[in-house]
Amino acid sequence: MAEKKGVGHAYNIDFLNVVFAASSLFLFLSVVWMVWDDFDRDWKNTQRRFNELEMQVTQAQLDTAAGSVDKARLAQLQADLQAAQQGVSANQAKVAELQTKLKEADNVLFRATLDFQSVKATYDQDRYDFEATRNAGGSGVEKKEQRALGLEQRLNELTLAQQKAEADRAAVQKELTQYTGQAADIAKQIQTMHSEETRLRKQIDTIAPSAVKDYFRNAPLLDFMAPTLKVRQIILPNVVDDVNFTRVPKMDRCQTCHLAIDRKGYEKYPQPFTTHPDLEMYLGGSSPHPIDRVGCTVCHEGMGQSVSFVDAAHTPGSEEQKAEWEGKYHWEEPHLWDYPMLPTGMTQASCAKCHKAQVYIPKADALNVAYATFERAGCYACHKTKGFEDVRKPGPILTKIESKLSPAWVKNWIRNPRAVKPTTWMPRFWYNSNNSAPEDAVRNEAEIDAITAYLFASAEAYQPAEASPPRGDAAAGEALVKSVGCLGCHVVGEGERDQIGPRRTFGQPLENIGNKTSYEWIYNWVRDPKHYSPATYMPNLRLTDQQVADVATFLSGLKGPEGDAARATPDAAAVDAVLLDYMKGVMPFADAQAQMAGMNPEQKQLELGRRAIGRYGCFSCHEIKGFENAQPIGTDLSEEGSKLVTRLDFAFISDIPHTSKIAWFRSKLHDPRIFDRGRVLPPLDKLRMPNFDFSDVEIDRLLTAIMSFQREIQPPAAMPVRSARLDYLAAGRTLVHRRNCVGCHIVEGDGGDFLQLVEDPSLGPPMLTPEGARVQPDWLYAFLRGPITIRPWLNVRMPTFGLDDPALNGIIDYFGAISNTIGPFQTHEIVQTASVEGTGKELFDLLRCQQCHVLGEVPKDQPTSNLAPDLRMSSERLQPDWILGWLKNPATILPGTRMPAFWPDYPKSAFPQFDADAEAQIRAIRDHLMTLRGGPNPKIAAGATRAAN
Amino acid sequence: MVLIKGFVNTLADPRLFFLLACVGLAVLIWKREQLASSAVGYGTLGFLGIFFVFGTFDPNFRLIVTKPDNVPIVGLIFLLAFFVWYSLREGVLNDRRIAAGQGPIEKAESDRVWVWPDLVYIELIALVLCSVLLIVWSIFLKAPLEQPANPANTPNPSKAPWYFLGLQEMLVYFDPWLAGVVLPGLIIAGLIAIPYIDRNPKGNGYYTFNERKPEIVLFLFGFAVLWSSLIVLGTFLRGPNWNFFGPFEYWDIHKLAALTNVNLSEYFWIRMLKTGYPSAWAVRELPGIVLVLLYVFALPVLLGKSVFKGYYEKLGPSRYYVTAFLFLAMMSLPLKMLARWILNLKYVVAIPEIFFNI
Repeated sequence: MAEKKGVGHAYNIDFLNVVFAASSLFLFLSVVWMVWDDFDRDWKNTQRRFNELEMQVTQAQLDTAAGSVDKARLAQLQADLQAAQQGVSANQAKVAELQTKLKEADNVLFRATLDFQSVKATYDQDRYDFEATRNAGGSGVEKKEQRALGLEQRLNELTLAQQKAEADRAAVQKELTQYTGQAADIAKQIQTMHSEETRLRKQIDTIAPSAVKDYFRNAPLLDFMAPTLKVRQIILPNVVDDVNFTRVPKMDRCQTCHLAIDRKGYEKYPQPFTTHPDLEMYLGGSSPHPIDRVGCTVCHEGMGQSVSFVDAAHTPGSEEQKAEWEGKYHWEEPHLWDYPMLPTGMTQASCAKCHKAQVYIPKADALNVAYATFERAGCYACHKTKGFEDVRKPGPILTKIESKLSPAWVKNWIRNPRAVKPTTWMPRFWYNSNNSAPEDAVRNEAEIDAITAYLFASAEAYQPAEASPPRGDAAAGEALVKSVGCLGCHVVGEGERDQIGPRRTFGQPLENIGNKTSYEWIYNWVRDPKHYSPATYMPNLRLTDQQVADVATFLSGLKGPEGDAARATPDAAAVDAVLLDYMKGVMPFADAQAQMAGMNPEQKQLELGRRAIGRYGCFSCHEIKGFENAQPIGTDLSEEGSKLVTRLDFAFISDIPHTSKIAWFRSKLHDPRIFDRGRVLPPLDKLRMPNFDFSDVEIDRLLTAIMSFQREIQPPAAMPVRSARLDYLAAGRTLVHRRNCVGCHIVEGDGGDFLQLVEDPSLGPPMLTPEGARVQPDWLYAFLRGPITIRPWLNVRMPTFGLDDPALNGIIDYFGAISNTIGPFQTHEIVQTASVEGTGKELFDLLRCQQCHVLGEVPKDQPTSNLAPDLRMSSERLQPDWILGWLKNPATILPGTRMPAFWPDYPKSAFPQFDADAEAQIRAIRDHLMTLRGGPNPKIAAGATRAAN
Repeated sequence: MVLIKGFVNTLADPRLFFLLACVGLAVLIWKREQLASSAVGYGTLGFLGIFFVFGTFDPNFRLIVTKPDNVPIVGLIFLLAFFVWYSLREGVLNDRRIAAGQGPIEKAESDRVWVWPDLVYIELIALVLCSVLLIVWSIFLKAPLEQPANPANTPNPSKAPWYFLGLQEMLVYFDPWLAGVVLPGLIIAGLIAIPYIDRNPKGNGYYTFNERKPEIVLFLFGFAVLWSSLIVLGTFLRGPNWNFFGPFEYWDIHKLAALTNVNLSEYFWIRMLKTGYPSAWAVRELPGIVLVLLYVFALPVLLGKSVFKGYYEKLGPSRYYVTAFLFLAMMSLPLKMLARWILNLKYVVAIPEIFFNI
């Protein structure tokens, strides 16, 4: 500042000029940079790449379309056209004259129309003026009326003039058509042949690259007007986003990059350009979930508004994909959006958002298996969950344990159930990651001993129906177990639990059952399960006493490992210490000591057992005396899928991302006690969820179930329309899944696990989807109450479930609802004329129905897979209308059936009867069938049983 | 390395941090003659620069410093250090000239002002460069779209905008009505009142320290220590659950800090008199109320007759009492902080019955 002296400047102005120039340049560059930064978006490049792909695909389609044109016919048409045109040329003078006249007539018509329209507009205005003035009581009404009336007059004249001009033109056109009509017709036919090509050509014209489009309309700063690269969004009033203070229509911009998601023809291209894998079901215009009503993120989750890969909260489906994305998109675990996209395998979890009236949803196979796993593992027993409130306790009753098990076996079993039965769902409570230190052993064993003691002390006496049953043949028993249908619900040591799946592990695994319980108990159980456990789902297979003895002999011979041995032997002092620990948590220390002083060692052990059962929640799964009214101990899972990640405690587990809910659940299911790692906790403060040793597959299934437990935010408009039929379907599906009908039968595309165990599907349990249309409701009711043998050549048999009336009616209504034949009353007229009856019988013999169908006796010369039910049952069993459809085309009702289609050319027929009228022939056969009598009938059988009882 | 980081983490403890800030201010003023040299100024900036560069090798430090919201505070640290040092240096240089009878350098050519083109030109250049800075800043530091605000799921920690973090820090020590309403109101009223209170014509239009010693010290204490350093502290050192975290420390949401704070009434009735609380809250809180009344009404009088006697005479009673009130209001913050740290004092007056706490 010393050089401030004298006149002039405080600064060197030349230098400032340079600084100013430089900073101006910087400003310019930074503005350019800003504009470019705003302009340069990944989604634009994606759209450019798609544009190229679309060109290729459309070009290929065009080539195909051009190639598929019928060349011969085209040549013929062109020749015709030429001939016709020659005919036109022959009358060239006349045609030219008529064309001139037509042009003139066009002009006249155009002028007349214009006149008419302009007078009409003025008339409308004046008439309104008149009407308004008159109604308001204003002045000058008469004048206005006069004017309107005058115009009306004029308008009528003009209307006539216009109509005359039209008629004149039509006359000329008609005359002209006489000469040129044929040529025009042919030309139109040729055009129709090329219509697909023309459409594709037009499409190519719009998508083809062009200077205007690529360099002008999409240029930076100009692209706000009419760009071809633009964000594509759909706004969905039916499905909403919860923004906490209000709910707003969803706005999905996914199609900005997933440009062909709802278009056929892009199936083989990779993401983001691929077609949705199931357009029939999703996104398609005629699907139940059209894209303009359902959108994307209501199912897939993620941030629909975002057009950047990372911000849209994509979630990888696998570790490899994650690594790929990290390299390609700089992907990171989404943390700016509460509900990141579901991994693709779990998307079905979102079905439950709208299909909430039902638990099991047809076609949502992954979700149904997820729920079945959730039920099998008994999650709902400890964790209250909406939709699973009424499911029975998953474990067997323990109120009569003394007659079934021995204390030594129980201790080994609860110490580590999977060491005894590898496929069991019973989880491990002790020797988990937070209680398997050497110093925990004494406490663990004390609890195990005490719980066992409590269970046996509280058990009531049970008197078996057969105190000393006869022995049977193990080999015969094995054959029975493997064929009669036990394996629909039970496994006999057949590999991993996750491969077998939740349906065939419905009942307890039979491996090692010989070590578990006595021959007497198994015999009595198989003979009549409800005798021991009145509420059991185990059905009665109606075996003879000899067969029961065979089965029991086989099962009691199944022996395996004894399980893990005790790792410590707690003395009385140890039991005292553990009990004191329990008691001082719920009462003052002095009171606890005083109470314990009044107990003898046995009482102390029982008290410890009672408290340990209460702590671990054994009563949630098993019926235990003294815990009839105890509440489940787990967290409510009804809205767990909507839980925010900040509500989850990651404790000291730092090797999983703390922004991922799924990662937390995965870790928790893998090791339920993992979040105790690194913590210092008194034993009773430790986590107590038991370890189920879930495999990765099972964890994925359970995650799907958990993510489906969503907070209700979608409006009623998003839900399927409620109806009685939907209610029947919902209730019936729940029933067939919870009773494990789907273990043996395929119903609505779900289940049928047992079928994989029989060599030929036709020798397995039948597919039941069309059952409502096929059989009569009263027959079905009687059949379910007391099943009869329909196919005597099958080994597998329908057991007697002993369902109550509401359940039976639920099943009947469900089957009726599937085929939309609700209600038992169906009319049908049997045509009873001699000729019809005669022809029916004639056709029946001609088609040799008896070759495969039983008619009193089983045909001897057929392989068993060809045999079919006794037709004498038809009149009582089958719905007459169904028989018609069945005869017409059996394969549409039961794909893969062995029943031949006799009328492939319906309504024509290869047989001469009734003038080869297939419909009449089919009706005649049906009517003949309805006259047959004397087949087995569950109604009579049930009556007989009742009489016998 | 671990040792250095541990040492810095220890220094960042709020008690030490505040103490160091006060000591730093005292040293700055006391040793200003030595500190006014260019070597010290650029050395300080260099040291800060090295510290930040060193720090960014640590993931926790990098995370907090490079968070787009926090980047301005990094700038604030450098700018604050530079301008405090710069103004002090200019003041020291002028003080030397004044002592030598030359007068401040700004007055040397008081007959001339270079407005056109000098002032206008550099203002234009400054405007252009600031625009460049803001544009480049906006390109680099993104503000992404996040999930909708959820009243049931607030961020942890929930932080005010950076310029209010000083106020938010006060909320730790005072009730919201004081920290959020009364004290900010007094700050604004006090700033407005300055021209009417301060009648010292010296230092007008030039840098000086000696001619305005108490005013500058008071200002620096209020602005640099109580306001700016609390912003820095709130930005970098307050983590989940408003717990303190050193700059190299992982923000563990589970970190616990023992907080067993007690009210003055407990000290008085239970610890001193060894009785229970009186049933009427007016009686219970009497010691605190008396203390507050003494602080607000008696202390200015006492000070005016003793330590601030000179001021009382210079300003006259009305100006003096306004000044003293504002001064005591400002000092209530550090006093309350000290009381909290040393005595675990929660409230001087705590009347939950009528939602009134001091």
